[in-house]
Amino acid sequence: MQSIPVLLLVAVLSFILMHLLPGDPAVVIAGADATPAAVERIRRELGLDQSIWRQLLSWFLNLAQGKFGSSLVLNQTVLSAVGERLPVTLSLAALSLAITLPIGIALGILAAYFRSSWIDAGVMAIALIGVSAPSFWIAIVSVILFSVKLGWVPSAGYAPLLTAGPGAWFASLIQPAMVLSLFQIGFLARMTRSAMLDVLEQDFIRTARAKGVSEWRTVGKHGFRNALVAVVTVSGIILSLLIGGSVVVEQVFALPGIGRLVVQGIMARDYPLIQGTMLLFGFAFVLINVAVDIIYTLVDPRVRYD
Amino acid sequence: MITALGRLTALLGALATPLHAAEPNRGGSLVYAYLSGPGTLDPHVASSLVELEVIHHLFEPLVAIDNNYNARPVLASKIETSADATVFTFTLRKGVKFHNGKEMTSADVLASFERYRKVSPNASVLADVDGFETPDPYGFVIRLKKPNAVFVDVLKSPVYPFEILPAEQKDKAAREIDIIGTGPFMLGEWVKDSHLVIKRFDGYVPDESAPGPDGLAGRRTAYLDQVRYNFVPEANARVAALQTGNADVIGDVPRDLAKRFDGQANITTQQIFPYCMQVFVVNTQAAPTTNPLVRQAIEAVVNIDDITGAMGQISRPGHSLVYASSPYYQGDAMKPYYDQRNPAKAKELLKQAGYNGEKIVLQTNSNYPNFRDAILVLSEQMKDAGFNVAVDIVDWTTNASNMQRGTGVWNVSTTGYCSNPLLGPQQWKVMFYTFPHVKDDHVLDAAYDAFYASLDPQKRIAAWADIEKRVLEQAYMIKIADMGTMRSYNAAKVVNFMPYYIVHFWDVWLK
Repeated sequence: MQSIPVLLLVAVLSFILMHLLPGDPAVVIAGADATPAAVERIRRELGLDQSIWRQLLSWFLNLAQGKFGSSLVLNQTVLSAVGERLPVTLSLAALSLAITLPIGIALGILAAYFRSSWIDAGVMAIALIGVSAPSFWIAIVSVILFSVKLGWVPSAGYAPLLTAGPGAWFASLIQPAMVLSLFQIGFLARMTRSAMLDVLEQDFIRTARAKGVSEWRTVGKHGFRNALVAVVTVSGIILSLLIGGSVVVEQVFALPGIGRLVVQGIMARDYPLIQGTMLLFGFAFVLINVAVDIIYTLVDPRVRYD
Repeated sequence: MITALGRLTALLGALATPLHAAEPNRGGSLVYAYLSGPGTLDPHVASSLVELEVIHHLFEPLVAIDNNYNARPVLASKIETSADATVFTFTLRKGVKFHNGKEMTSADVLASFERYRKVSPNASVLADVDGFETPDPYGFVIRLKKPNAVFVDVLKSPVYPFEILPAEQKDKAAREIDIIGTGPFMLGEWVKDSHLVIKRFDGYVPDESAPGPDGLAGRRTAYLDQVRYNFVPEANARVAALQTGNADVIGDVPRDLAKRFDGQANITTQQIFPYCMQVFVVNTQAAPTTNPLVRQAIEAVVNIDDITGAMGQISRPGHSLVYASSPYYQGDAMKPYYDQRNPAKAKELLKQAGYNGEKIVLQTNSNYPNFRDAILVLSEQMKDAGFNVAVDIVDWTTNASNMQRGTGVWNVSTTGYCSNPLLGPQQWKVMFYTFPHVKDDHVLDAAYDAFYASLDPQKRIAAWADIEKRVLEQAYMIKIADMGTMRSYNAAKVVNFMPYYIVHFWDVWLK
């Protein structure tokens, strides 16, 4: 039930923030060579000459009927615009998550287990580079290396899974997914290391070792199982970030995903598109949070929701 | 309208185009990577180059620009202008087919013009139309309320083009038409933000009277089976796409990135001039630039080399608001207003203006680095001359909205114009008044009245001299430079890709 006020807040904030931005969608639609009279006519046609409160009321009335509205510039509804781009962003997010989770977690555990050693320093250095290096720069260097020099993967563009086949789909996404993962791996490795360090100093780990339980079992089962709550939390955040779309990666690799849609919508002051997309994002984030809460109960039997 | 000289140069240009190349191959698919995709393919509301590049393959107007940017018939075979320049009679080519197989007739032309009047942001250019007539299926007449000696030149505009649609589209709202034209290509797949495909229209009826293609007109032939436009916003990715063979042609190549092609013999890079023109726009409705002396003082400080050196794009200095190839070019007459590098003159003008250190806001945007850099250099040049300058950097949409609507707080901004300097006085008019927000300038009004009413071309040229002088002397706009653009293509594969202001793929083939 908490999610309803959250979504309402998202709806109001996205509306107000967009309308606070200077700049006029009618100018974008009319084009630079249009006369002022033509711009005014478009403003009237779009209802932009009405007061902001009237426009807000009208948007809420439509939302109440399940209508997210239509984009001002794309000549399609917000739902269809998002629906067209969702497979791209979901594909990228899924592949990126599939790369991030095993590598990030493994690196975090390794760093914690060999804390203060050269392995720990090495892993943390990689994590620091991943978190700090601009993904724009990494993407360009990656394209020059893997596409231009080595010719392993295409430099840009998206091949849909259903029409182009799994091979082309994978080839079009693996490079952007790797670039996108670099930041997430660094983030997850640092968080996993921190959680594992707390756990590995607990009495029950010492007890397990004293009982002669193997190191693999001690760290893997007793240690990691207890650090898992923190890891699940971070993974939920990572998934939210990925579904929000990576603007930079989608831009460099020319992927027609949600990130690019939102940026172009903001540039064009496409109010209904941005408001609708933000609300859908808000809904997705609420769902992910619910999923994370449910997973807590699976990884930690002490967590109960009555 | 279409001078003998214009026809001759167009003919020579057209003849020169295909002769040096080998026998054309038919077939194949070409991939073109450009920075973004069209928002709409509705020609009557389209003004951005990314839209126009596609639209001119799909649709055709009665007249279009040729290689020299003069008007040349496309769907018309003959144009007659009455002696008083109020009646324009177009004879249409027979047998021209739309992509749906229907023959194009005067009913379609009439419906297209009527739709244009309803939906186009450029509809004001038809304000003086008294009526349209269709005496027969191949005749179309436009009657004006008052003389307009350059009306056919108005109709050649590649921006908000007067393309002919099937009559059934007449009542379709803006951006809601079916994409059906008479052009050499027809629309295939279009995935927004990703790519767009145009396919050869095998029922295309070319203008047999022309020996070859000529700008957006002439005898155009589609050899390629299809052209795929990939929308690749990042310049590095476009360059990589050409290097890896993922694209055959790429547009908007930054000067620095073009160096990556050094040593790659198969890649050819074109520098396109004329392309666009960059100017500073001065707001006449915001103090202290309401005072012409303050505007002239800003004009006096400009040092062009410093500005273009910082902009990082290919450019050429040029003092005129039209290109040297234009019949309206005034030689060196406008040179005194250009590149003055005279802070002492600026100080004197400011003194005369009673300028007392009032803040002058230079607004620009972060989306176009060349605009931002030009403003930053100008701000330093103005500070040296004693102006109190503040630089305001916003995003392009805010910047453009402020210039167009006069909103926000700004005195000087900068932008680029592409079609306006190419096509001259009639295309410039809206911009001269709109962006600087010129009001009650009877000198400019009278010069434009004389321009439209003069049936003698020499008098029109003289009227343009008055218009251009007024705009520059009043410093409504301050000319920066003629800007070019760079395109690169795989010359080992692509043949006859000709440099032109708008990218086109008719009469292009693959080896």
